[in-house]
Order: sequence, then structure tokens, then C-alpha cells
Amino acid sequence: MNSKLANIGGLAFFVLIGVLPFGSAFIYALLYSFGLAGALNDGFTTEFWQSTLASGELVKSFAYSGAIAAVSLLISVGTALWLTLKFRKEFEQKLLSFIIYLPLAIPGVVAGFFTFQLFAKAGFFSRLAYTFGWLTEARQFPDLVNDQYAIGIILTFITIVTPFFVLLFLNVYKNERVEELTQLSYSLGATPRQIVWRVSLPVILRRTWTLIALYFIFLLGAYEVPLILGQESPQMLSVLIIREIKQYDLSKISEGYVVAVIYTLVVSAAAVLLFSRKKRLTHEV
Amino acid sequence: MISKKVYLFLTILALMVWTCGPSGPDSESDLEAASWEEIKQQATGSQVNFMMWQGSPAINDYINNYVVPTVKERYNIDLEITGGQGPEIVQLVMGEKEAGVSSSQVDIVWINGETFFQLRKINGLWGPFADKLPNTEYIDFTDPYINTDFQQPVDYMECPWSIGQFALVYDSARVADPPGNLEELEAYVQANPGTFTISNDFSGMTLLKSFLAELSGSSDGLNGPYDEEKYQRLSAQLWDYINRNKKYFWKEGTTFPREHTKMDQMFASGELHLSFGFGEGGIEDKVLEGLFPETTRGYAWDTGTILNANYLGIPYNSGNKAGAMQVINFLISPEAQYTKANPEGMASNTILSQELLPADWRAKFSGIPGRKYGPDLEDLSAFAMQEPAPEYMIKLYEDFRTEVIEQ
Repeated sequence: MNSKLANIGGLAFFVLIGVLPFGSAFIYALLYSFGLAGALNDGFTTEFWQSTLASGELVKSFAYSGAIAAVSLLISVGTALWLTLKFRKEFEQKLLSFIIYLPLAIPGVVAGFFTFQLFAKAGFFSRLAYTFGWLTEARQFPDLVNDQYAIGIILTFITIVTPFFVLLFLNVYKNERVEELTQLSYSLGATPRQIVWRVSLPVILRRTWTLIALYFIFLLGAYEVPLILGQESPQMLSVLIIREIKQYDLSKISEGYVVAVIYTLVVSAAAVLLFSRKKRLTHEV
Repeated sequence: MISKKVYLFLTILALMVWTCGPSGPDSESDLEAASWEEIKQQATGSQVNFMMWQGSPAINDYINNYVVPTVKERYNIDLEITGGQGPEIVQLVMGEKEAGVSSSQVDIVWINGETFFQLRKINGLWGPFADKLPNTEYIDFTDPYINTDFQQPVDYMECPWSIGQFALVYDSARVADPPGNLEELEAYVQANPGTFTISNDFSGMTLLKSFLAELSGSSDGLNGPYDEEKYQRLSAQLWDYINRNKKYFWKEGTTFPREHTKMDQMFASGELHLSFGFGEGGIEDKVLEGLFPETTRGYAWDTGTILNANYLGIPYNSGNKAGAMQVINFLISPEAQYTKANPEGMASNTILSQELLPADWRAKFSGIPGRKYGPDLEDLSAFAMQEPAPEYMIKLYEDFRTEVIEQ
């Protein structure tokens, strides 16, 4: 009876904290997108959906955000795997383990400003280059922030994400006893290359791919970093949504809610797919 | 059993939502009929929340170290300052309206024509109230730059606080002969690539209005109600001009700064040599703060730049309208305006008419020394143009993105 009560209490708490605010916000956004909510809307219309889907900006923003998240993640995961396998023992030292924890304490907005201060045309490195006489004008410094290829955004994401994955992979390496498996493979005659590609990497990635995928979703919706370091067009999804919602023409605010609804549906579908697949895999194992 | 608990839970939830809902209406109609003495009495001992742009140390210093202690001392009003400008104010008022909040988080908002237009559109302002303030006797409400905001009658729905003219800003140590028209600007950017850009915000769009006026042939070419045919004709020429030249802009025109503050930073660091801004370019305080070089100067576009006032408004659902009126009345008093005009401080142009002021105050105001770096309002007055109808701004915002940024 007590456990039943605790279950109901837990469920109620989850609904109150997790489902209700999110669900209410989603329904509000949905109503807003169809003109059923909002101070300036006066009834059901599909006008905002039509104009958003016709503009092509949403698709561009999805592709742009996806590409940035994928490139950042690919480089971060690759670097973290290399660091884990190459410098595993060194990370056990106090100083290095402290250094690797440090970037995790830096919020995205601070990391964004930090990158801006370092890599802007009038930033630290540009000034350094000027002092050494490598540049005669600030504008000769390469375009690394607010740039066409999102180099500043990707660089910041890598700085934030890589330490997290290093810590994760080090943990998995230990818990999954990869060291023992490596020794075993070695004694069975495997080459170092085979050990990395056929034993260590598959074991680590099999245990962490869900988190990697979740991180992709997290980066897809990042706001502060692309706001500080991104371009005016195309823009990452969250920046686009906020821009639309805060736009000068109040009669078009609903278009921002259309993007928010589509983004929520896509991300929710991806999360459901991800977790149902993980559950299935766990059952199979 | 479970369903009973679910019902109980839903009942508690509904009660929570109900108790968190809006409180009862205040005595608004009483206030409209009240005398100034009664309003003063009602305001005494209250708290007033003022939402304003806090991006300038000179403004913050004026508010925090002069206005806040003075209203506390004289009227026993606790003035609380919150940061927020245009879009934040509109979002807040609109959000409260949509949620049916009857007592707003803010009582005074500092707004310009853009925000006034938006707040009027959602009936987000309370009033008319400005005509009730005793100190408005020193303000000339027949002046079209004061009684009309964004081609819309002010109708005492907001109270003017200061007035300023948009100006172009340049570093005289780097630019000997700054451009004054589109032809000269074209030659300038070609000779100095990467040192000019247009921010994708209110300031940038204001500059584009000067460009549109030039293309129309005169500074009053955009006056009057919005003319779609005229806009289409002039804007097509403008986008063609910008797209033709943007390869000589900052970052070769592949992107544009989101906010004007970023332009200020780039001007300060020497990345940009040409900039622009409100309040005669906003030069004086930035030079005195050490942000801009002492060689910074300002000027008006040949066919004119926009002259406009900025205002103080009271949200429709302010919980302390009497307190807000008392504070606004103080802010437009000769004393507060005189302190605000201090060239070492805010260096702001007074909204008070010299003709309407008592002789002693008139003498004091005329004794204020001129600016050391930026131009005075009188220097640019021959180049003043009125703010065009709001639809021009809406269209410029939209088309600058689609016709220039996304190209």
C-alpha cells in the first residue's frame, strides 16, 4: 500500500514538474501558431504555418543547426576517444583530472564571450599578431567569429563538449573493463590496431551512443553560443525562434511559435525513437 | 482509489492556479478624476518599478545616484530599476495582457517611437496621463517632434523625457572627409573596405530611412501616411545600392551586426571607422568614458537624419499609477532635466521649452557649456527630419533581411 502511495506521489510529482509545464507551453505555442492565442490574433488561421513553411528559412536553419551539431560532435567525440585511449593513465594524475573538469564549470554564454574575445578581428590573437607585426590592420585577421562557416560556434562547442566525453569515456573504459579485454585480445594475438577498432571503440561507443545522440539534440537547440558567435543568416534554430517571437512586426510573432512547435515535435520524435530503440536493445542483450 | 487521488490532485492544482491568478482591479477611474494633490498623497510611501535601458554608465549613474535617492527623500518613493528595452518591454506587457495579469511588474517604461507604436497596437499603455503632470507646463506640446511619435499623435499617452537627433559618427583621425550622401558613401567604402556596416536593428533601420529619404529627393520625402508604391520604388533602388556595395562592407557584407552596441565596440576597437547612433550619435559620454577616441566626431546626412523624442509610459496594468506619475513628473522637472543635461554626465538635451521655462531656469540652461566632442542639437537642427510612418520600419526590417542579408 505504502509503495503504491509512493508510486502515485512520484507520478504526481513527475506530472507536476515535468509534464505539466512542458505540455502547457507546447499547447500554448500550438494555439498561438494557429492564431488561437495571442493579443493580436483573432481566430483560427493556417496563414502562419503556410508562410513559415513557404519561406524556406526553417529548412535552412534545421540543416545549418544539424550540420554544426554534427561537426562539433564528430570532432569532440573523436578527440575525446583519442585522448581516452592515448592518455588514459595521465588523466589519473590530479592536475590533469582537475583541468579536464574545469571547462564543465563554464556556462555556454561565458564560453561564447571567451571565444569572441580571443578570436574576433579586434580580439586577443589579432592584437598579438598586430604586436608581432604579422598584421597591419585588424581586418586582415581571419574571420573566426560571426563567420560564414560557423567556426567560432563549432570551436566553442568542441571546448565545452570534449571534456564531458573524455570523462564519460574514461568511466566507461573502467566500468566495462576494457583494459582487461585489451589484455585478453592481446594474448589471443590481436594487433594494437585491431584492439582499438574491434574491441575498445565498439565497447565504449555501444555504451555511450545514446548520450552522444542526446548531446546532438542538445547542441541542435543551443542558444547563447550561436547568438554571440553566429551570423544573421542562416541562424541556428533557437536563435531563429527567439528572433521571430521578438520581431518588430507583432502580427507575425505566431511564425516563431510555428518554428517552436515543429522543432519540439521533431526533437520529441527523435527522443522517443532513441529511447524505444535503446529499450529494445537492452531487452535483446 | 487512484481516480480519487487524481481528482484530489487536480482540485489542488486548480486551486493553486486560481489563487495565483490576477488580483482585483485598482481604483483607475478614481485616479483619472483625482487632483494632483490626491495623486501625490497616494504616491507617498509607495514602490515604483521603472524598466529602462541600462546600457550606459552615464544613464545608470544619473538614475541610481541622483533620481533614486531624490525621489526617496522628497516623496518617500522607493524607485526600483529593472533592465529592459523595446522588445523586452513589449514582450512583458503583451505576456501580462495575454495572461490577464492585472498588476504589472513595472510601473514606468522608457520607450521610443518603435515601442510606442507596438504598445499602442496592443493597447498596452495607460492614459492619457501626461497632461495631468504639473511640470508638462514647460513642455511645448505644439512641437511636431514632441506631439507626434512615429507619425502617431502622442495624445498624452506617454510623456516626453528627452529629445535627440540621429547622427553619423566617425573617427577624424582615420577619416578626413566622411561621406554625406550615397554617392560619397559608395566612394568611401570602396576606398576603405571593411570599415562600415549597418546593424540589423532599430538604429540601422533609422539610417536606412535617411537613405530612403535621399533617394526620394528630399528630407520630407517620406512624410505623411505610408505609401506602398513609393516604398517599393525607393527600396528597390536602396537594396540594389547596398547589394552592389556590400562586398566593401564589414565582413564583405556576408553578415551584419545584430545590434548597434556591437558596432560601438567595433568602432571603439578601430575595426569600423564609420558608425551612427541616436542622441546626436551618442558620442559625448562614450568619449568621456574612454570607449571612443577623443578624435570622434558626429554629423548629419546631407538630406537629414531623424530627430525624435523619447518618452516615459505607464503600462495599462501598472499597480502604482499614482507613484509612476509622481516619478515621471519629477523626471521632467527643470531640476532633474538640468542635472541630466550636464555635459560631464548624461549630456542629454532637455525636453523643456526654453520659452516656457521661468527666467531663472532659462538662464541656468543657457549657461550649460556646449559639448566637447559630439555635435550639439542646434548644430544639426537644419538637417532634422521627421520619423516616417511605422509601416516603413516594418517593411525595412523585413526586406533588409530578405533582400540583403539572405542574398
